[in-house]
This record gives sequence, C-alpha cells and structure tokens, in this order.
Amino acid sequence: MEMKFDGEFEVDLPREKVFVILSDPEKFAPLIPTFHSLEMKDERTAMLRVKVGIGKIRGTASTELTLTEAEAPYRAVYIGKGKVMQGVYESISSFELEESGQGTLVKWQAETNLVGKILSLAGGGMRGYAEKEISKLISSLQNGLSSNPQTVTAKPKADGWLARILRKSDSGETETAETPVSESKIAEGLAGFNDEQLDRRKEAQGKIDNVLSTARAEKRLPRKEDNRLIRGQGLFVDDFHPAGMLHMVLVRSPYAHAKILNIDVSAAEALPGVVCTLTGAEVKAQTNPFTQLGPEPSALIQDYCLAIDKALYQGDPVVAVVAESVQIATDAAQLVDVEYETLPVVVDCKESMQADVMLHEQVGSNYTWQGEFEFGEVDKAFEDAKHVVKIDHLKFHRYGSTALEPNAVVATWNQMGELDYFSNTIMAVPIAMIGPALSVSSDKIRLRTHDIGGAFGNKIGNYPHMTLAALASKKAGGAPVKWLETRSEHMQAGGHGSERNFFDTEVALDADGVITAIRSTHVDDCGAYPRYEPLACVIWAQVMPATYKLRNMKIDMRQVVTNKGPCAPNRGYSRLPHLWFMERCIDICGHELGIPADEIRLRNYIQEFPYTTPNGCVYDSGDLPMMLKKAKALVGWDEWKKKQEEARKEGRYIGIGIGTTLDSGTNNFGQSQIINPFLPFTGQSQASTAKLDLDGTVSIAVGSFPQGQGHETTSAQVAAEVLGIDTDFINVKTGFDTARNSHTGTGGTYASQFAVTGLSAVHGAAVKLRDEMKKLAAFSLEANEDDLEFGVGEMGPEVRVKGSPDKNINFWALSNLANYNTASVPEELRDLHLNVRHVYVAPFQTVDKEKKYGNLTLTYAMQLHIAVIELNRETAQTKILDYGIIDDCGTVINHMIVEGQSHGGAGHGIAASLLETMPHDKDGNVICGSFTDYAPITINNMPDLKYENMESPSPFSYNGAKGMGEGGGAPLLSISAAMQDALYGDGIIIQNSHHSPMFLYEVLKNYEGNPVSLESR
Amino acid sequence: MSDSTETLSIEITVNGKVYQRDVEPRLLLVEFIRENVGLTGTHVGCDTSYCGACTIILNGEAIKSCTYLAVQADGGEVITVEGLEKEGQLHPLQQAFSECHGLQCGYCTPGMLMSSLALLAENPDPSVKDIRKRLAGNVCRCTGYQNIIKSVQSAAKQLQEG
Repeated sequence: MEMKFDGEFEVDLPREKVFVILSDPEKFAPLIPTFHSLEMKDERTAMLRVKVGIGKIRGTASTELTLTEAEAPYRAVYIGKGKVMQGVYESISSFELEESGQGTLVKWQAETNLVGKILSLAGGGMRGYAEKEISKLISSLQNGLSSNPQTVTAKPKADGWLARILRKSDSGETETAETPVSESKIAEGLAGFNDEQLDRRKEAQGKIDNVLSTARAEKRLPRKEDNRLIRGQGLFVDDFHPAGMLHMVLVRSPYAHAKILNIDVSAAEALPGVVCTLTGAEVKAQTNPFTQLGPEPSALIQDYCLAIDKALYQGDPVVAVVAESVQIATDAAQLVDVEYETLPVVVDCKESMQADVMLHEQVGSNYTWQGEFEFGEVDKAFEDAKHVVKIDHLKFHRYGSTALEPNAVVATWNQMGELDYFSNTIMAVPIAMIGPALSVSSDKIRLRTHDIGGAFGNKIGNYPHMTLAALASKKAGGAPVKWLETRSEHMQAGGHGSERNFFDTEVALDADGVITAIRSTHVDDCGAYPRYEPLACVIWAQVMPATYKLRNMKIDMRQVVTNKGPCAPNRGYSRLPHLWFMERCIDICGHELGIPADEIRLRNYIQEFPYTTPNGCVYDSGDLPMMLKKAKALVGWDEWKKKQEEARKEGRYIGIGIGTTLDSGTNNFGQSQIINPFLPFTGQSQASTAKLDLDGTVSIAVGSFPQGQGHETTSAQVAAEVLGIDTDFINVKTGFDTARNSHTGTGGTYASQFAVTGLSAVHGAAVKLRDEMKKLAAFSLEANEDDLEFGVGEMGPEVRVKGSPDKNINFWALSNLANYNTASVPEELRDLHLNVRHVYVAPFQTVDKEKKYGNLTLTYAMQLHIAVIELNRETAQTKILDYGIIDDCGTVINHMIVEGQSHGGAGHGIAASLLETMPHDKDGNVICGSFTDYAPITINNMPDLKYENMESPSPFSYNGAKGMGEGGGAPLLSISAAMQDALYGDGIIIQNSHHSPMFLYEVLKNYEGNPVSLESR
Repeated sequence: MSDSTETLSIEITVNGKVYQRDVEPRLLLVEFIRENVGLTGTHVGCDTSYCGACTIILNGEAIKSCTYLAVQADGGEVITVEGLEKEGQLHPLQQAFSECHGLQCGYCTPGMLMSSLALLAENPDPSVKDIRKRLAGNVCRCTGYQNIIKSVQSAAKQLQEG
C-alpha cells in the first residue's frame, strides 16, 4: 500500500536555522511525536525507536532514518525504513525551504509504502491513521522549528487532508455541517420568539456552550460497556431499523373479563399504510397454545398470543395491527371495532380459590398449582413448643421493577421459514416456548439481543408478544415487524411481580425465643395466565428456612389465577416474598416475647456453614452475626436506639428494622420437577467461547443476556487474568446471539448466577485457549510448554520463553499459524484452532420430586440491611433517616459493579416498600396506568445508603464468587421491620409489605382486629 | 385522527447541523430526533415526561422531548447526548458517569447527562440537594442514584478545575 501526503507550513525561524535542524538526524528525530530513543549509526543515519500503535496494538518499533539529500539551505530529504507489527515500511520525506518574511515556509512531501500484515490488521483505517500521525508530526515540527510556539501559523493546502483536520479542530464543526440557522430565521420560526425570549434563549444557550466547551482529558473508562452507553451509542431494540420494517400496535381489552362477541377490522385495514391485521381466530388456526409448565389440570390452560374467545385481564391483546409506521398503526388500531360482553371479575386470591368466577373453565378451578412442603417433625415441634405465635394474614404486594426500556422485539419470519428475533428478552428458554407455538424448529430461530435497558427478571415474560410479532411478519410477507410496548401497556400487561398471601401462620418457639417450627398456607396470585408460573411455587423453597436454624416447616403452597395482568419474575422472584414472610415472623415473635430484634436474630441465625437446610439446600458460606455487628456499627445502632426513645417522648415515631436476605444464585432446574415431574429440566449450565483473533486480540462470547450488570467487563477481567494480558486486548461480544453458539438451553441472565456460571464458562474457555496457544507456541519456539509464559511485549501480547524475552511469538503470529499458515503446522497440532467453546455444568444432582428434597441452588449471597425510619402518624409519610447495607457475595470480581448492584437492588426495595404498587379495583381496572400514578423512585426520594462489603468465599465456585444482584431487595424487609418497630407499641401489626402514605393512612386510620396472638405454656 | 398527508416544513438545528424536514404536526420532538435525524441516543421510557430518558437541550434549556412537538421546536437549537463529545474527547460529565459507575444499563444515561449539563450550566458547584432537586425528573431503575450524585459532583469538580 502506497500513500502520499504533502502540505506546507510557516515558522518564524529564519531559513538557515530551520535547515540546520532539518538536516541533522540527531536534531530532527526528537521532533517526531512518537520518538522514544535514538542511537547514531553514522553522521547521516540514526537508529530510532518509536512508539507505535493502532487501536489496542501498542509497542515500539525500530526505524532507520537516513539523510539522503541536504542542499543548504533549501532542501533536506530523509529515507526511513523499519519493521513494524509484522510488516515493513519505507518512507521518503522531503522538505523544501523558502524564505517568507522573517521566517520560513516549509513545503513538505511524504511517500510511505507499507508491506505486510500490518495492513490486514489496520484494514481501511490505515490511511486515516497515517494522516493523523503525519498531522501530529507536522504540528510537532512546527513547534520545534519555532522560536515561540504561540506564533506558529498553520497554512495547509486548501483542499488537503491536513486542511480538513485543522479546519475541524479550529471550528469544532463537522465536515458536512451546513450553514447555521440565522437569528432572523429563528425569529420567523413557527413558535415565534420576541426579543425578551431571544435574549433569554441566548443567555441560556451561552451557559450551555460554556459547559460544553470545557477542556477534556482522555482517560480509560472502567467498564467496557460504558464506552458506547455514555455516548448514546447503545443499540436498544427501538434503535434497530432493518430495511422495510413494519410496526405492530395492539388493540387491548378495556375489560378485565369479557367475552369477545365480534371483531371488525375492515375500517382499520382500509386505512392507507395498513399492511394487515391479526385476530384471535387466525392465531388459533395458525398456532398452538403455549406449553404450560404446570401439571394437569392446570396444563389444560390454553394460552395464545392473542385472546381467543375471552379477554381475561385489562390489557389482554385482542387484535394486532401492522402498518408502515407506528403512527398509522396507532390510528388504525382506533378504527378496530370489538364487541364485548363483560363477565364477573375476580381480583382477590381468596375469592379466586372459591372459584365462583372461573377464568379457565376446562381446568375446573382457578388453581395453577397446589402442594405441601413438609420437613422435619412439625406437629411434634408444636406439641413441644414453649410459645406459639399465630398470625392470621400477611401480604406481599404486587409491584414491578418497570425497566426503563419497555418490552420490545423486531421479528422477521421469512419465506424460507427462518425466524429472526432482535429482542430484549433475557433468557434462551423463550425459544422453547415460541418454537412449539409456531411449529418452528428451534434451529430455525435466531435470537439476539444487544443492549437491554434493564430487565430485572421481568422481560422473561415477553414471549407471547414475540410470537405475535413473528406471525405478523409472516402475514406481512416476511418483512421485519417491530413491536414496542408503551409504558401504559407495560403497567397493565407487561409482567407484574406476583403477589403472595400468607394465611394462618403459626410459629413455634422454645423458651429462649428460638423458632422451632413454622406452618402456614401461602397463596400466590399470578394474574390471568401462568406464563413462567407456577415455578414461583417452588423457587421460594431455595430459601425455605431463610437465615434461621429451624428444622421443622410445613407450607401449604398454592397459586391461583385472577383477572389481572400475567405475572413475570421480578428481582428476588419468589424468594423475596418468602424472606419477607420469615422476617415478619421473627420480628412479630420478638415483639410478642419481648426480645429485641437484633437479639432474636442472633439466637436464630444459622452459624455453621456449609449448612444443609431441612429441604436439602446447601448454604455455602457466611457469617451472619458478623454481618449484624457490622451493620449496627455502620448506622450507629445504639445512638439510634437512644434517639428513638427520646423522640417517642416527643410523640415522634422512629423505627429501626433489620432485614436479612439470602440471594440464592445458580438455580438447579431440577426444582421445576417438584412442580411438574414431567418437565425435562435438571441442573444448570452456561457456555462461553474464546477465540484468538487475527489481530492478536481475544474474542469472548457468553450465553448471558446482560442488562447493565457489566458482563463484558467482568468476562474480560477473567479472560485477561488467564492469558496474562490486559483487558484492553479482550473483546467481549455485546448481548446474546444464538448464532454464536455460546449458550446452552438454560442460557440467560436470571437467578443471580453470572459470577458463577457465566464466569466459570469464560474461565474454562480462556484456559482451553491458553493451553492450545501454549502448544502451538512451543512448536513455533522449539521450546517446552512448561518453559513458556504469557505477557505483553514490544509487539503486544506474546508467548515467550521464560528468561529469554527475545524468544517470543506474538498472539497474531499464533493466530496466523492456526488460520492462514496451516501447512506450517505439523499434523499432530492441526486440531488446535484457537477457537474454543467451554460449557460449565453446575455440580447438581437431580432432586427427589416426591419428597421435594434436593439442592436447589449452588450459592447463597447474603445481605443485611438496617433501616431507620420516621413515620408521621398524621400524614402517614415515612422518611428514611439512616440506611446501612452489608453485602457478602463471596469473593468479589469487581467491587464497583457489586456495590452498584447493591445500590440498585436497595433502590428497588425502598421503592416497592414506600412508593410502588400495582393495585386493581374490584372491576380489575389497573390503578397505575402510567409512571405518574406508579411513581417510580427518583433521586429526590432515594436516601443516602451506607455500604460495606464482606467476603465469605463460596467453596462451590472456582473463584469463590457467589451470584448476586437480587438480594438487594432487603429494604422490603428492613423497612417493614422498622415500621413494625415504630408501631408495635400502639398495638399495630404490619401485615403488608407496602407502606406508601395512601395505603398506610388507611391502615392507621381504620386499624382493627388482632391479627396476632401468643400462647405460652 | 389527523390527516397523515398534512405536513409542515420546519428547520431545527441539532448538534450544530441544520435539518429541514416536512413533518406531521403531531410528530414528537423525540421522534424527529430519533427517526428524522437518526440520532438514537435520546430514549423514550414513559411517554409522559416522568422518566426523563428523552431529555435534551432545546435553546439552552433541558426539556423532555417525548411531550414536545417537533413543530414547537421550529427554528430552535437542540443538543443531544451525541453533541457532548468534541473531537473524539468525552465531555467531563460522560467521563465522570463512567468513572463513578453512574450508569448500568445505560438507557436513562443520555437523559441524565443532558439534565446534568443543564444543572451545571446554571450552577457550577451544586450541593447534593441541588443535584437531587434538578435530577428529580430523571428516573434510573438500575443504580439507586448514589453513584449518579457522585458522578455529577465529580464532573462539577472537573469542570471547575477545567
């Protein structure tokens, strides 16, 4: 590749002085910006070392610089030759000097010829790179040849490359910038500006310009993901625009329960720009009902991607409209005429159990699941108990983490039968739901994600819309069809977190206040369709005794459908409600027996790890008393106790509450067989691929669906450590793609597992790659594998012989051997492709389905939160006065990310506790139709969090790490505990997990009854 | 329903470049930026100006572009997240959000950055209370906001030392 450049510049030194510098290699060379060091070979030839680098490839290179012509004071010519990055280059630079007033005009020309691998590495970027380098060189020369650098004036050739670069940097304009709008034009604008407005605007604009035009320093960013996200260069679903894309908008039922009598789409279809519509009748004819996870009779539920004969919740999709633009589709949706006959509605789980109103008649009841979990000798423990505390009803409320990016998909189902999804779902499992529904082989389904704007478990429930979008694409002749949920659709039907009721709870305790047994009936309300359900009926059992040492438990677990939006897993899915229940039990018992909240926990905490729970789960490691001690110190427990007492004398209600959670991570899918023994799922696995690329960097792909958890960053950390290089040399593919083959069936981001399953897979792949590289390097260097080490040398990452740094082969040379230079590789090494895949299979056994016994999760991260609140009894408003978090997720891979996850989880917990709820009225109307009603927590009502970390390494993961991210929901526990602490003296029992002023006001105003009793023997 | 053939000609400067387009009167400013101009860094999260993911600077002031008609911005100057970077160098706010881990999924980040920019333009040395007050219209569901406060403080410091 040959490149020619030329230009001119002016300097203030006289021509003779300029010539003296330019004609002496020893003086000239240090003016090169990349100059590193120099040694004179003879008086005309310098041996230089210069720093080189393109992108991530950095190093120093040797150059021989020879002065070939020197004609004082007019002309100097150099020839430079060198080897750089597996290539050679030769460059001729000439300088012509002309007098220009007192100074000198330097006219220069450079011709560079590059041969070799460097070109394939840099690709089309080589010219741009060279331009930049030469631009730097010229600037440097100008400065070096000037008596005062301030006086230098650049005078590039009018249309040259340098001119363009200089113009750009001078004006800050882009090359294609058009003329800025004139002020008079602004004044003529549609809105119209008067002088005062224009002045105000100018002032505001001026202030913005000031902040925009500040000096900037280039520093390395701590997370790989940030590089694109802080630039607004993420690729979320709505940013994806394949050619010919159409838009789908849904017509949804305004009624929570209604027969669909007639649908008329003729007016909608007649609107110009409308491509097609879909109704339940077509869906029923063309698809199969979704696979039900529950056993018979709930397996008889017929769930399609559109309502067929009946709408079962407000927001149930009834018709899909596909059009050329989302605006046309929205207009057309308003022209669809649907005739309904309303039916009685059931929104309460107790009424649902009575089945006066039935949602799925063929099932014969509203139950999706019923079963008993009984461990130990419960009845005997109650006979032997010193105290029995009874609690008639507790309720964990319905809310959702409402990720900021709504559910969305672009589906393309082409004429060859290939189905492509660009989506923000978070698990590979939806393929297993969509495939059978559409009668498409899973091999024909490509599922990809890129950036996902938060999910928190919730986007698992998105698959019916994905199925519908595929049907729409097929009907539209294979065009890509985008469906993007509106926020109000999300609030109605985008996947609520399930609500759980706890009835008739009895707690047995011994004389010391140690809980010996619990029996209770728990009823989940999963909304109209069990989409990921009834898995919640077993997932809570991962943390059955919570952090407490009781051995006897009997839980009658049930789940029912109601005329509400279908639930989807939500951060802390099923475990958080159960942990909340257990913490309510311990606090209520403590209050009843007069044992302080910290003391009763210390008496009940599990102290020895690993600990096998009554149902066979193995808690791996931890130190709960130490966590409590640290948390108390963090918030100043004793001082708050004093302040609380003083405040109470003034009539103020301060409460202090502890919340202890377990974040059970890496689930054993075998637990699904406790729900339905015929489900073909057990264990857990995740995959990763690692490939040495042609440029000597390493590409990693994983099977997770990251949504902000920094998987690219932590994967790179793990791989870089194995390969002895910097994370800058590791590229981690963004998002998920079935086409990468870097996943297993259970691939996904759920159940707090990436630090264990994902990183174990990355580690395994990196080790395999390292071993292959070692074998090839040993051959190439004629050395023993044991004598080799990995590191970064002059030419970037390399494998070298220990103690002989000159005996090395760099990464791209190894890649070259495996990819281009295969005939040079002996036959016995030809299986080494430097492109490996590793599957981490978690060390699980199958579970005992009959006894409901087995290890359901691999690791148990722990969190202990303390909340100090003040409740205003007049307004029912709660203020958080202090908040402390102790987090223990085993060995921490990245402290910044772990702390960020803890903050975020705590944010969700505080939000759900004090602000967010998804209530329905008796007719099944959603009372939180928008964010304005739902009021997601903002920076203004989020308290300062105090945070400390502890590390109890897990014995069950290679790196000692435990999955984390979901346990941060502990504020639901700690705030309820603090609320109970504040109100117990007034005889008020906290029975609900939600404490927004509106809700709490009713509780305080109309509190009646006595939900708790104590029997002591 | 509007007649979809009726359009108005408007001219809006986005990040220093003028865009003249014929648009439907109902077209939202955020749709203009994302679809007509093709800059997708500005996001939509709630459709009702609660979440602030769509925050941009219009004529020197931060506004929520999801509840603003494009025709209202005729003749105006818009700065979006894409306008923060200059000559390949990140703005101190962008740098600070990354360094302080003020973002996770990144969906709210463009709006957060633009609201923070407007805050720092008005108030170069904001207190924590000022930050909370001024960013109360920007929802982040990932970070719990702790690191966003730190990010804005850090950027303010860098800008002052600038």
